[in-house]
Amino acid sequence: MYLYDTTYLRPGSIDEAKALYDAGESPAFLSGGHTLLPAMKGHLARHDRLIDIRRIPELQGIAEDESYLTIGAATRHCDVAAAPVVRNCIPALAGMVGTIGDVQVRHVGTIGGSLANNDPAADYPSAALALDAIFRTDQRTLTAEEYFQGLYTTALEPGELLVSVSFRKPEHAGYAKFRNPASRYALAAAFVAVHADGVRVAITGAGNDGVYRWHEAESALGHKFESESLDPLRADMENMSSDMHANAEYRAELVKFCTQKAVTNQNCITLL
Amino acid sequence: MNKNALPRRAVPAPTASREVSYRHGEPSPELKLVTDALFRHIGKPVPRKEDERLITGKGRFTDDFNLPGQVYAAMVRSPHPHAVIGRTDASAALALPGVLAVLTPEDMLADDLQPIPHNPVPSTNYDVKLRASDGSFPFVGPHYPLPLKKVRHVGEVVALVVAETPALAEEASELVDVEYDVLPHVTATAEAFQEGAPAVWDEVPDNVLVDSRFGDEEGTDAAFRRAAHVVKRRFHIDRVTAVTIEPRAALGHFDAETGRYTLYAGSGGAVRQKGEISKVLGVDRERLRVLSFDVGGNFGARNRVYVEFPLILWASRRVGRPVKFTATRSESFLTEYQGRDLITTVELAFDEAGYILAMRADNISNVGARCVSLSPLSKGSGLISGSYHIPCATLRARAIFTNTMCTQAYRSSGRPEVTFAIERMMDLAAEELGMDRVELRRRNLVPPDAMPYTNPVGQHYDSGEYEKNMDRAIELSDWDGFEARKAEARARGKLLGRGFANYVESSIGTPRERAEITVTEDGRVEVIIGTQPSGQGHETSFAQVVADMLGVPVERVQIILGDTDIVKEGGGSHSGRSMRHAGTVMAIASAELLADAKSRFADLHGINSSDIDFHDGVFSAAGVSTDIFALAQATAADKGALHAAHTNEMHTPVFPNGTAICEIEVCMHTGAPVITRYVTVDDVGRCINPLIVHGQTHGGIAQGVGQAMWELCAIDEETGQPSAGSFMDYGMPRSDNMPSFTCEIAEVHSPTNPLGIKAGGEGGTTPALAVIVSAIVDALSEFGVRDISMPVTPQRIWQAMRSAQRNQDNLDRSNR
Repeated sequence: MYLYDTTYLRPGSIDEAKALYDAGESPAFLSGGHTLLPAMKGHLARHDRLIDIRRIPELQGIAEDESYLTIGAATRHCDVAAAPVVRNCIPALAGMVGTIGDVQVRHVGTIGGSLANNDPAADYPSAALALDAIFRTDQRTLTAEEYFQGLYTTALEPGELLVSVSFRKPEHAGYAKFRNPASRYALAAAFVAVHADGVRVAITGAGNDGVYRWHEAESALGHKFESESLDPLRADMENMSSDMHANAEYRAELVKFCTQKAVTNQNCITLL
Repeated sequence: MNKNALPRRAVPAPTASREVSYRHGEPSPELKLVTDALFRHIGKPVPRKEDERLITGKGRFTDDFNLPGQVYAAMVRSPHPHAVIGRTDASAALALPGVLAVLTPEDMLADDLQPIPHNPVPSTNYDVKLRASDGSFPFVGPHYPLPLKKVRHVGEVVALVVAETPALAEEASELVDVEYDVLPHVTATAEAFQEGAPAVWDEVPDNVLVDSRFGDEEGTDAAFRRAAHVVKRRFHIDRVTAVTIEPRAALGHFDAETGRYTLYAGSGGAVRQKGEISKVLGVDRERLRVLSFDVGGNFGARNRVYVEFPLILWASRRVGRPVKFTATRSESFLTEYQGRDLITTVELAFDEAGYILAMRADNISNVGARCVSLSPLSKGSGLISGSYHIPCATLRARAIFTNTMCTQAYRSSGRPEVTFAIERMMDLAAEELGMDRVELRRRNLVPPDAMPYTNPVGQHYDSGEYEKNMDRAIELSDWDGFEARKAEARARGKLLGRGFANYVESSIGTPRERAEITVTEDGRVEVIIGTQPSGQGHETSFAQVVADMLGVPVERVQIILGDTDIVKEGGGSHSGRSMRHAGTVMAIASAELLADAKSRFADLHGINSSDIDFHDGVFSAAGVSTDIFALAQATAADKGALHAAHTNEMHTPVFPNGTAICEIEVCMHTGAPVITRYVTVDDVGRCINPLIVHGQTHGGIAQGVGQAMWELCAIDEETGQPSAGSFMDYGMPRSDNMPSFTCEIAEVHSPTNPLGIKAGGEGGTTPALAVIVSAIVDALSEFGVRDISMPVTPQRIWQAMRSAQRNQDNLDRSNR
């Protein structure tokens, strides 16, 4: 309920943030805090410094070029969801972000916070994977495949700051989510993006190793992009997580149904 | 609807004349005047007086109170479901600067604190008598504020820490090192009474603290022998928690100079808290003052004393400072008194024509680690036959201990459980008998001309028009349009199902209530009453009653409650008692006040009191008139304040009743259910404020639907650990998963009290569990699904469809 003693810091630049981080004993970057703060309140995490990076100018902004839509890591969900450039460019992405948490969460949470946390039931990781995103940090550039490393794990090193994420613009894309009736996180969700060089299907909420690409679905849809192409398929049960809300068998069913709905309803989102 | 398919069976003539007395005395002329009065405010949807205060943050909830110099308590809680408590080492905690005390069971014994006298066995004449198997008074498990030798559920408080800040208290509580010798545990209701289950209390080796049998065994057996059909099923109405929006909190202060304790703690009734906590502390009642103002939800969970309340008062005496405790949401999930948890096995015997001949029921209530209330078992036991005429019945009622948090009465204590059983049985029996489920019910309903009606376990239903409720609900639901809606849903890949449930419930509650009414010289009417609202709008509906009685504007009436220095008596709010008990005693006190006022008016003007007319708050006779406020002012010097106080006792229960119908669409692919229609007709007796009653019905429905669809205090049986400890896993009804309700109030006035009130707070909940499951099963009927356990989550529904489909496939294969 109460955090252990910590110091809240709000740097104005990446350099300042890094310096504050390096000087801390057990520091943490704060970029929304919807996971970090409950963990600290539950005394599951202890950090002597909370470095709030949401106001750093270098982490702001949304920009479009010919091939990519680039979003600064500290951009809040509400700003992404409402940005005309996102809505025009990748409507499914804007729509998806508009379903994260609730209004309060969307006004505090950020894209970078979500992707750095890589919660297995979060929405953003599936969009990043299906949209073949490029992750820019203060040190390097990573592909989505390189970036996601399993449950709550990414390629980010301690102290490494995510600066921006560039989503490859698809021909069209769709997102379908089945919500956990209690938490409202995804019990299973599919982001299906059609690129010039093929279809990418990313599944979140269901995999026992976090977000993943469903390659069988991608090749089936590559032959013919319609939901019936997936009829003979079944999501890999070995790969499914299991809990009180959905066992592996049910999750596998939801994965397939969500994927089919995302295929049928392109350029929008489907809440199941 | 063919209402006349078969001749109705004769139902015994009303029993009231022989066995029940509804006499509440000949009304006094003033009370008659009052009840005959044109009801100006009663029955009108007066907006709630308290809302502006509450929604603008001006409520006075427990955590809003602070005292100078206060310090904070945090609880050390057991991580084990069952263990012997060993050595407690508090040295690390005490070493933190700012930690004032760590209090343990030894300290408690040294200071001679006593167990909380919960008095869990219902004792009014109208409650069924629950006893141990040998007929003795049940062993309930002493509830010391800190346990003496063993912990018996996860989350039980084993020590408390007092420190200068809440954060420090919490940190120190993690440093208290308690040794445990872990014992085998049992948490599941179905397991605890089996042979070889670990004993929660050595005093009750088989864990069965109550084992009572009721009814006519011989007659029932005979009826079953001649039955044409017998239908039997077992149901588990699982465990839920109240999730009050305000977690429990308390601020305690011991004043060494006066030797008096003060407790700020929201509850279901400050007077009860004062009585019981003073016994725990071993002090005279008047040495404890309890204040309970705004309360953010109760639903039964707050009616019993929590260990933290006496603990912080005791801690305040020990440290010499006021001590505050506010539970976290996690603590609330773990240790707020929980609800339901009943296993019931029901057997119904039918004749050829579908009339019920007899019933057998076997009810097992899981009371948790201690028995704080047998209300759920008792209330349910009296209503096993529901709205139906069942000539003969037997019931075995058992209560069992388990290594879980204690259960308590939870909104509509005991009744949703037995309503679920009888209504599910009616659906299942209709299916097995090949009859229409509405017709089967219609045939067996208790008819109005049989009222008052004595049911087979001895409850006297006061009044009600059950068939009329049913027909009105059918009409409101557009019953005949269902097939078209079903076909339309099917075209969208949805299975539409329709649920149906009747209900009758009982409202008993503490029989005594007191009202003090004063017409103040500054032009207000003050009403002191001992009930405790937690969102029910008493400040409005009670004011409406008094305003009507005294003929004054409702805005002038002020309801005062919640401070035991002012409110000396009062039964609190539970079991739908508040409007009925408070309404009645306020009416009687108003009548007495009017009688006094009349004689004052007569004296003032020297006229005969029989000639006085009273209208709209104005007394007039022989060309003179005075309004009640002016009269109070004019006579105050001579005769004191215009004031009346009355204590009233009413023992006779009332039986609210009604019908609920709902429709649910189920996604064929995911099993996800969506409620698309929900209709109720609720007989609440006289309705004082339809706006508030509708609000109560809506909330009640959500609470019942919540249990049916999402809520479950899941426990891992292996480890005994609760596994739904937060909103991440404990699903709740929300505005976006509730439909818009169609609710109609039926007013069949109860003959048991002068205002004809029944109750309106629980009727929404009572049939909700049954009607939801009925609709889901109806939606899945084409798959061959006949029953499904709650909560009916998407996964459960999908699995039911799936396994029914697999069975069908296997069947097809073997037939090929």
